[in-house]
Amino acid sequence: MEDALISLEKITKLYSGETRALNEVTLSFEKDEWTTIMGPSGSGKTTLLNIIGCLDLPTSGIVRIAGKEVTGVGQAALTRLRRENVGLIFQQHHLIPYLTALENVMLAQYYHGSPDETKAVAALKNVGLEHRLDHPPAHLSGGEQQRVCIARALVNEPPILLADEPTGNLDQTNGHVVLQLIQRLHEEGRAIVLVTHNPDISGLGDRTIRIVDGSVEQDFRSGGGDRNGE
Amino acid sequence: MFVQLLRKSILRRKSRFAMGVASVLIGAAVVTALLTVSLGVGDQVGQEFSKYGADLMLQPQSNTIQVGLPGVTIGSVTEQKYINESDLWMIKTIPHRANVLGFAPFLYQVVTVGNGSNAQQAVLAGTYFNKTVQILQPASPQDPTVFSTGIEDISSWWKVTGNWITDQNDTTSAMIGTNVAQKLNLTVGDAFNVSYTGTQNGTTATNVKELKVVGIVETGGAEDNQIFVNLPVAQDLSSRPSKVDTVQVSALCTRCPVADMASEIQGKIPGVQGTTITQLTNAETGTLNKYQSMMGLVTAVALLASTMGIFTTMTANVADRRREIGLMKSIGAENRSIASLFLAEAAITGLLGGVAGFGVGVVLAQFIGLSVFSTTIAPSWEVLAVAIPIAIGVSLLASAIPVRRATAVEPAVVLRGE
Repeated sequence: MEDALISLEKITKLYSGETRALNEVTLSFEKDEWTTIMGPSGSGKTTLLNIIGCLDLPTSGIVRIAGKEVTGVGQAALTRLRRENVGLIFQQHHLIPYLTALENVMLAQYYHGSPDETKAVAALKNVGLEHRLDHPPAHLSGGEQQRVCIARALVNEPPILLADEPTGNLDQTNGHVVLQLIQRLHEEGRAIVLVTHNPDISGLGDRTIRIVDGSVEQDFRSGGGDRNGE
Repeated sequence: MFVQLLRKSILRRKSRFAMGVASVLIGAAVVTALLTVSLGVGDQVGQEFSKYGADLMLQPQSNTIQVGLPGVTIGSVTEQKYINESDLWMIKTIPHRANVLGFAPFLYQVVTVGNGSNAQQAVLAGTYFNKTVQILQPASPQDPTVFSTGIEDISSWWKVTGNWITDQNDTTSAMIGTNVAQKLNLTVGDAFNVSYTGTQNGTTATNVKELKVVGIVETGGAEDNQIFVNLPVAQDLSSRPSKVDTVQVSALCTRCPVADMASEIQGKIPGVQGTTITQLTNAETGTLNKYQSMMGLVTAVALLASTMGIFTTMTANVADRRREIGLMKSIGAENRSIASLFLAEAAITGLLGGVAGFGVGVVLAQFIGLSVFSTTIAPSWEVLAVAIPIAIGVSLLASAIPVRRATAVEPAVVLRGE
C-alpha cells in the first residue's frame, strides 16, 4: 500500500455532520490499473471519486496521492495536487460554453501553467476532433463534447484519470467511442478510476469495487479473487 | 488565455456587463459633473458673489482727539487722514494675494455741478476704472509685476447705460449716477461743469473742470447719487495728489478667510485699517459651504448607488457562473486565478463606466454651468484623472464580496449539480 499511486486509509465522509457518505473505507489503487467503481445511487461512489480527485476532503482518515498526504493540506496545495496528478472526465462534460473546443483544452493547460497550442491540438486530434477545434460546445454533439472533456483531462498528462459516468449521457455508439478512448489511455499507462452504473463497463477494467451504503461491499479483479478485506 | 477568457466571458454576458457599466457610469457622471463644476465654477461662484460688492474696506487709521475744558469734554475732532495711492500695489503682495480679485480706491469730494440757479451739489468720486498697477516688489519672483484692476472688476454688477471709462489717462470723461443724471437732465454724450471750492494754506480757491458723460450708472445704492471720474481728476480738482480716502478690495474667498487678508494688508500698508464686510462674507462663505456640502452629499449618494449596482450585478454574475467556477477549480484554477478573472472584469467595468461617465458628466457640468452660472465650463483632465480611479475603485470595492463568494465555491458541490 505504501507504493500505491492512490491510498485511502479509513476514509469517512460526513455531510452536514450526520449523513455518512463513506464509512471507514480503505482502498489502494495501483499505477496502470483500471478500476471500476459500482454501486446503487447514493452509495458514495461519487464522494469517493471526489476524494480521490482532491475535489473534496474526507471528514476523517488519510488520503495519499503519489505518496503525498492530501489530508490536512490547504486549498491551494490541494488544487496543485489535483492539477498535477488528476484528469477529470464528467458525465455532464462541463465545458465552458463560450470557449471553443481548443480553448477549453487550453484552459487546463493555462491553469497548469504550461499553455501549448500544438499540444492541445494534438490532444484533440488524439480524440478524433481535429476538425472541430474552433467549435463551441453548443455546436458539438454529446459524444464530441465528451471527447473534448477527455482531451482536456489528458492534455497535462496526469498519471490518474477519474471518470464519473463518462458514458451516462451518450448513445451506444458514442459511448463505445469514449470507452475505446479510455481503454487506449489505460494502455498508455494511466491509472483509470471509473464510476458507473453499467455492469457491462465494469468488465473492461482490471478491477471492480462495489460500494453500498458508504462501505466497500466487493473488491475483485477480473479473473482474480475478491480483494475485499485485504 | 486569460485575455481570451475575460473577453469572451464579458461578450457572453453583454447585457449584464452593460448594466454594470451603466451603474458605474451614473456615479462617474455625477462625480465628474460636480468636480468639474466645483473646479470650474468654484472660483466663479466667488466671482458671482463678488458682483454684489467688495469684501474688504480699507480706510486710513484716524486719530480722534477729545477737546474741551479740563474735566469737561465738549466734543472731538478727527484728523483727516488718507491712504497713499503709491502704497496700493502692496495689496497684491500679501500672502493671500492670489485671492485678491481686484481693488479700487476712492477719493470723495462734494462738488457743485452746473451754474447759477441750476447748480446742484453732488459727490464726486475719483477711482480706478481699468488701471494697470505696477507691483514694485512682487512677493515672489513668479508673481507678475503688473496688476490690472478697477471698479469694473469689483463692481461688475453695476447697470451702465453707455460705456465704462476704459482709459486710465482719460481726464475728461465721467460716469454719473442715475439720480444725478435725472436731476441735472444729463444724458450720455452731454458735457457739464463741476467746481470744487477748498481752502489750502489759508487761501480759498475754486477749481472748475468740464466733464463729458460717457455712462450712466444705476445700482439702487449710493452710487446713483455720485459722479465717477478717474482718480487723478479728483485728486487735481481738490488738490490732493496721490491721496485716496478708501479702498474697496474684492476677495476671491472660496478658500481663505477675509479677516486674515485684512490683517495681512494692515501689516503691509502702515496706517491702514482693514474691515471685512462681514455680512456679505459670511453669506458668501456659508452659501459656498452649503453648495459644496450638497455636492459632497450628491456625490456620496451617487457613488453608493453605483456600488450597489455593481454589487448586485457581480453577485448575480457569480451566482450564474458557479458551475463554471467549480469547473475551473476542478481543472486546476487556484482562488487567485478566479479572483483575478472577476476583479479584471470589475476593473474593465469601472474603466468603461468611468470613461463614459466622464463624457456624460462633462455634458452635465455644461448644463449646470449654463443654467446656474450662465457660463460654459471647460472639461478638466484633472477630473478625468480623479473620476477614472474612483470608478475603478468603486467597481473593485463593490465586487469584493461577490469575488469572495466566487473563491469560496467548492468544485465538488458544484459539479454534483447542487
